[in-house]
Amino acid sequence: MERQEIVDGLVDILKTVRTIDPEKLKHITEDTDLRADLNTPSTELINIAAKAEHKFGVEFDDDDIDDLGSKIKNVVDLVLKAKARQNE
Amino acid sequence: MPVQGRKVAVVGMGGVFPTCSGLQDFNDKLFSNQSLIREWDKAIAYQKQLRSVVSGYIAEDEMDLEVVTAPFAESYPETYIDKLGRIPDANLSTADLGSIWAMLGARDAVNMAGWSEGEVQSGQTGVVVGSGGSGNLILRVAWHHFFEEGRKSRIAGSHTVDRTMFYREAANISCFLKTKGVCEAIGSACATGLGNIGYAYRLIKFGVQDRVIAGGLEGTSLETFIGFDAMQVLSKGFSPGESSRPFDMNRNGFVCSFGCGIVALEEYEMAKARGAKILGVIDEYFNNSDGDGDMFYPSFEGQQRLWKGLMTDQGLRPDVVKVHGTSTPAGDAVELLSVVDALGEEGYHISAPKSQFGHMLGGAGAVEFITALLMLENQRVLPCLNSNTLNPEPEAFQKDTKWLGPDKPLAAYRDLLPLQSFSKEINRVACLNYGFGGTNSAISVSKDN
Repeated sequence: MERQEIVDGLVDILKTVRTIDPEKLKHITEDTDLRADLNTPSTELINIAAKAEHKFGVEFDDDDIDDLGSKIKNVVDLVLKAKARQNE
Repeated sequence: MPVQGRKVAVVGMGGVFPTCSGLQDFNDKLFSNQSLIREWDKAIAYQKQLRSVVSGYIAEDEMDLEVVTAPFAESYPETYIDKLGRIPDANLSTADLGSIWAMLGARDAVNMAGWSEGEVQSGQTGVVVGSGGSGNLILRVAWHHFFEEGRKSRIAGSHTVDRTMFYREAANISCFLKTKGVCEAIGSACATGLGNIGYAYRLIKFGVQDRVIAGGLEGTSLETFIGFDAMQVLSKGFSPGESSRPFDMNRNGFVCSFGCGIVALEEYEMAKARGAKILGVIDEYFNNSDGDGDMFYPSFEGQQRLWKGLMTDQGLRPDVVKVHGTSTPAGDAVELLSVVDALGEEGYHISAPKSQFGHMLGGAGAVEFITALLMLENQRVLPCLNSNTLNPEPEAFQKDTKWLGPDKPLAAYRDLLPLQSFSKEINRVACLNYGFGGTNSAISVSKDN
């Protein structure tokens, strides 16, 4: 799975979070910060992670979620890590 | 303790009512003797597992709300969209259906009260609102995924707590309106709605707050409905409009309904000074417990003590008694006889709003308090719909040698129970509500003179 494919999938997820301004989702990059740039409420981050698990067919490790950064690339890395663990 | 000379006015009201577009529609339907009870499609979907399928329910789209379901669980309401833009998305994200109703009711009550932004967002403005909360869809789906499917706890979503915690409606109202005073919920089963208003009355009367948004509700919930259906206490065998029939000889249970009632209370002199419209003045609130160790069965003795507590001033005699009147075989008979015991056989009328919209559980006391305010405003008594035939024979418990109440059968009090709404001079209404656990609540509310 390519990184951009994951970014696009995450944008689809973020579109379902009604507390995020849809205008801000038009220029998402891996450096976009969910908290600082999108004003995502902290309580929504775990919902976004749960939706990412569902969308990409993976299950994240609890410790990895605890240490998750707030940038898009952090989530992309987490998805790829879970995929890799799945394929071991 | 009460502060001498301090009185409490009702200056606003709002809510969410079955089949009604708003408060005016609710008013019009009630005083034209209509029933708000329907067959419920969600109950009919489980008809083989349920005894009863009628309810005064409110669907999401009837309140211009759209459900956003989670991608990982088809029926899980992740959040709601307010198609009329009344509630911001951030507030909707922390709300279950009932909390949204509470915010809408609070918004309408505050608007009617005419409070300024500064008054609303004051440390002297509190919120006291509660619900019965016997379960809801959010918890059902969350627990199913965890316990039955073995999924991670996060699948329940990060809002399971704030959307299901006991005082969620009060918390959501406070966050929505940015009030800075007391924020709590009182729980007393089916007396919850009146209990919260009574507690709010005391907060003002005792000088703790100047304004309180108060009330109760029960959000539409099949889980709650199933719980009461399991107890075999729901009405069965009548058409929807005839299912709730308080005091009627053929009553066989209550109609499980849903709704929300919110009122804005204010210290009387402050309300008068700013020229507020006074919808009613609360004379007294009293509550107690049966103390007989019985969770369910009503207590005549407990209700006698309730009346004594409410009527410490004998001048507080009501023109109308808004009864709890659930339409259950045991409850109605004891209640009618306790009213007669307290007030005598004439000089007042009895109104049973549940006959028109069923039993709203945690919302009952608050929505019915609003019907009392509407009776004061309209100078019309709401009916005991469907109370067609009253028992001509004494109840079994009246034949017991230990019975100390009125000896006459319920049919002797036909004149107290109107089958239709009618006009009358109404200066004072007494409101009664009771709940599981033997809790009893009563408020006396008067027209402002």
